[in-house]
Amino acid sequence: MFSYVVRRILVSILTLLIASFLMYMLTALSADPLEELRTSSAPNKDELIARRIELLQLDVAPPLRWLMWVGGVASCLAPFAFECTLGNSIEGFEVALLLPPAMASTIRLVTAASILAIILGVVVGMVTALRQNSAFDIGTTFVSFFLYSLPSFLVAVLLKEFGAIGMNNFIQRGDPPQISLIWIIGLTVVSGLVWSLIVGGTPYRRLITFGVAGAATAAALVYMNLTNFFLEPSLGPVLLFLLIALTIVGVTALTAGLRNRRALIAAGIVGVIGYICYFTLQGLFDVSTIWTLLILGVVAIVVSVLVGFAVSYFGPDKGQVIRAAGITGFFVSFFVLIDRFMQAWPSYMANPRINGRPVATAQDATTGYSGDVWGTGIDQLMHFALPTISMLLVSFAFYTRFARAGLLEVFNQDYIRTARAKGLSEQTIVMRHAFRNMLIPLTTIIAADIGSLLGGALITERVFAIAGMGAMFNNGLRVLDLNPIMGYFLVIAILAIAFNFIADMLYAVLDPRVRVK
Amino acid sequence: MSNSFKRGRALTTAIAFSAAAAMVVSGCTTTGGDDTDESTGGDGATGSTVSIATTNALTSLHSGTAEHNLNTNGMVDYLTGNGGLGSFLTISNELEVVPDTTNGTMELVSEDPLQVKYTLNENAVWSDGTEMTVDDLLLSWVIGSGWFGDGDENYFSLAGSTAGLNTTDFPEIDRDARTLTLNYSEAYVDWNLVNLITKPAHVFAEQVDMSAEELTQFFTDTEKGEQGNETLSTLGEFHNTGYAITQMPTDESLLVSAGPYVVSDFQANDGGFVQLSPNENWQGDPVQVETIILKFIGDASTQIQQLANGEVNVIEPQADANTLQSLESQGSDVIQGDQLSYDHIDLTFDGVFADANVREAFLKTIPRQAIVDSIVKPVNPEASVLNSQLFVSSQEQYAEAEAANGYDSFTEPDIEGAKELLAGATPEVRILYSSDNPNRVNAFRLIQQSAEEAGFVIVDEADPEWSARLGSGDYDATIFGWISPGAGYAGLPQIFKTGGGGNYNNYSNTEIDGWIDETQTLIDDEERMLELQIMIDTATAEDFYGLPLFQSPGLVASDGSVDGLVYNPTQTGVVHNILEWSVVE
Repeated sequence: MFSYVVRRILVSILTLLIASFLMYMLTALSADPLEELRTSSAPNKDELIARRIELLQLDVAPPLRWLMWVGGVASCLAPFAFECTLGNSIEGFEVALLLPPAMASTIRLVTAASILAIILGVVVGMVTALRQNSAFDIGTTFVSFFLYSLPSFLVAVLLKEFGAIGMNNFIQRGDPPQISLIWIIGLTVVSGLVWSLIVGGTPYRRLITFGVAGAATAAALVYMNLTNFFLEPSLGPVLLFLLIALTIVGVTALTAGLRNRRALIAAGIVGVIGYICYFTLQGLFDVSTIWTLLILGVVAIVVSVLVGFAVSYFGPDKGQVIRAAGITGFFVSFFVLIDRFMQAWPSYMANPRINGRPVATAQDATTGYSGDVWGTGIDQLMHFALPTISMLLVSFAFYTRFARAGLLEVFNQDYIRTARAKGLSEQTIVMRHAFRNMLIPLTTIIAADIGSLLGGALITERVFAIAGMGAMFNNGLRVLDLNPIMGYFLVIAILAIAFNFIADMLYAVLDPRVRVK
Repeated sequence: MSNSFKRGRALTTAIAFSAAAAMVVSGCTTTGGDDTDESTGGDGATGSTVSIATTNALTSLHSGTAEHNLNTNGMVDYLTGNGGLGSFLTISNELEVVPDTTNGTMELVSEDPLQVKYTLNENAVWSDGTEMTVDDLLLSWVIGSGWFGDGDENYFSLAGSTAGLNTTDFPEIDRDARTLTLNYSEAYVDWNLVNLITKPAHVFAEQVDMSAEELTQFFTDTEKGEQGNETLSTLGEFHNTGYAITQMPTDESLLVSAGPYVVSDFQANDGGFVQLSPNENWQGDPVQVETIILKFIGDASTQIQQLANGEVNVIEPQADANTLQSLESQGSDVIQGDQLSYDHIDLTFDGVFADANVREAFLKTIPRQAIVDSIVKPVNPEASVLNSQLFVSSQEQYAEAEAANGYDSFTEPDIEGAKELLAGATPEVRILYSSDNPNRVNAFRLIQQSAEEAGFVIVDEADPEWSARLGSGDYDATIFGWISPGAGYAGLPQIFKTGGGGNYNNYSNTEIDGWIDETQTLIDDEERMLELQIMIDTATAEDFYGLPLFQSPGLVASDGSVDGLVYNPTQTGVVHNILEWSVVE
């Protein structure tokens, strides 16, 4: 094991060196950083050129400059003949100082998108696998490949046109904004169709599903119209109660099965506590900061787990009960928070900087907007919603396919057949035996993906004006600013190598059949 | 037994943890209960606001350094009086010098020897309330003149050159009369562009623990050409890098402004912004727009959609056919104009083009009208061929130059005429241009087609690294762009004088050299200047120097919420007449 790790690290360093040399040479030879100065008619042109040559050491041949660069980087790890530096940008900024904010922006951009893509992709992928070769399966395959093949700049531009400009026009011009009848009918039919395809079964059962899902959708849309949802959204005590009740039942059904009474009771208690907290915590919410909310979140999960623990104290199935209670606690807190964010919506909309047009097409925050944690939270959501969706649409397809194939493969294993033969319920087989084993290859894929994700999304960042790693690389290329490009490369390469390494290790840990030598 | 003990302990720990958390929660809250006020008010959200999208991000609060001479930096400098509004002069739309008397005046005392007097107004004051003094003027002179240090080791990195000011003596200062007088030892044509209000002396003095007055004393006492001086190095370092910012500076002295606005908030990089608030001590015409926000949006389509969504009010994107079409289809107000940059084709004066007949024949084949029709017309339907090497169309002198210089006879190709001149010869012409610039590739294709009809053999020298080959002589013609300096004449020797720094095609005409030398010493004589310029322009046409092709189109678009927008071709761009803007309610 130890020798394996050492060997891997040595090989990684070698890879890094060779790759950085190739990258450095290719970039350095691709254009002329003095172009704009050579074609300037400034009287002191020669002086400007000399200054840039001095700043970027352009008088040194690229291979030697690469050696100096490597020297500077190596000195950051161990004291060396050179001083620790990643070099200067063309404007004279230290690249080492430019990297952290760019990385932070990228992390903010990709985190939500990747998590959502994984969750949605896995859920949808599993459903398609369970309904293999059904109309839903084929439809999803079609849609996911369609989205996968769309160029991301086109998705971004379309999203902005309809999701931001169109949505804002709808909100601003309606008085109050009302969903038109055509939309209500259309969405009702679509939702009914999708649900009936997911649930499947006999034609009669499908018809029932279609009716129920359609009615629920229509009711929700009409409710939104009646309550002026787009200007004064709220869940309120009634809707919140319904949501909590649904959560209790749904979570228990998925984690433990409804027949497990203890799990149902624990989830129920958590739900009730959450509902009470909704009324008692409003005062605290008004003066909350982000830290208050984080602590409250932790407390909520801890309390939920404790409830599960207490209820199952004498039972044989602690794990399931605690899980049911914990997950319920998470969702209930989430709904209570959503309600509070909705309460802050009208004052957000009234801010002169927002001016009744909440969805933003670019940038990461509204310039000059300042508000409490709720206002800034909404502001962040309104800015990151579109870039997140546009990234999500692409990676979603990938995870869907992966989860589908993974689950289908697991279903053909002997242990699943054994579980079926034992007479276990379908829920137990899918959630406990198949799902977990499907996650093993997925884990390694995700670990490897994180490395490349941090490289930023070049096009998404540019189109949404977010100054992440991709934007840094892009700008560097545009003016042939070599050092930021290499800084970008360094981060990406190290992460890619490190996460691949972690992925291999994880595989060995998760799957006892795999041993590293 | 031990199991239940563990459970009990876990429970106690959890309870203790929750109690501690509750205490922390109470500590982690905001004080005020009336947060709704905060979220509807917000700071700086009162009064009128105009948001402008700019393509480049702000990198420094001082665009006068070599590393930070970028257009957004220049816009902010213009608004904060670092050689813009509130300094001695600004440049008009027609590229003429307009005196700005808010804080002081400049006056030509004598033409020969050249003597210029700068006088500060009684009430001239920086945005932090500090009075403007001769110390400020002297500092600007020290920075701009290269008085200390020698040519190779200058303390101050300059975007511009020391030309002109390097021929001045140490200025005469009259502290009480608030005047500073420059004595030039040689005539300097651009004396009226020398601006001595840039950055405040008291801020620089602070860097070396002096008062502004002591700093002036230090400058007076220090020898000309002094090298390796520690104080000067500190000042130079501060000038060169002190104003470069990657986040809102905590040191407020960096924000001190002489103009109508002061930087009040900043976030770096694409997607960032800089916010400008009124300078409370501003003495000039009152500002009508309370807050200016420049948002840094690199992508043109993003700018356009932000405009449609009301996130910005004014944009100045790269003009191309798509841009114009989308702006028009979404109903934005579009103002078009010509930029200062122009494409041209230059002939190298040795090799195949040493023969004037070959040059003339080649120029006769260039389809300039067709180039304009295919490249510029889709963006600006009113575009026309550029007919001057010295003037751009927004200048008043352009019409007169165009009428006289003879470039208009090359508008349409004359293949027959070219064939006659060549008399059956088939000269080989290597044309160098940027393979990355679609406009240049287009222009090359059109020229190639037309020239081959007349019998020329065209060699395609497209090269992404074309600029490094300029002046190497391994090509016969090159298509590229110049950026007209706009106001001022100091750049003239660069391109057309024998051995000039931008004279890549080895052009030499002793008559022109003489005229150029004369322009550099002309003081306050616009008539003679125009005459000389037209003579130079005409002579280049007679020498078949090459041909100007077209000015790049530019545009400004708005959502109609701002009154008073005018297209401006200079680096300052649309904000140049900011004091005339008002927000439509």
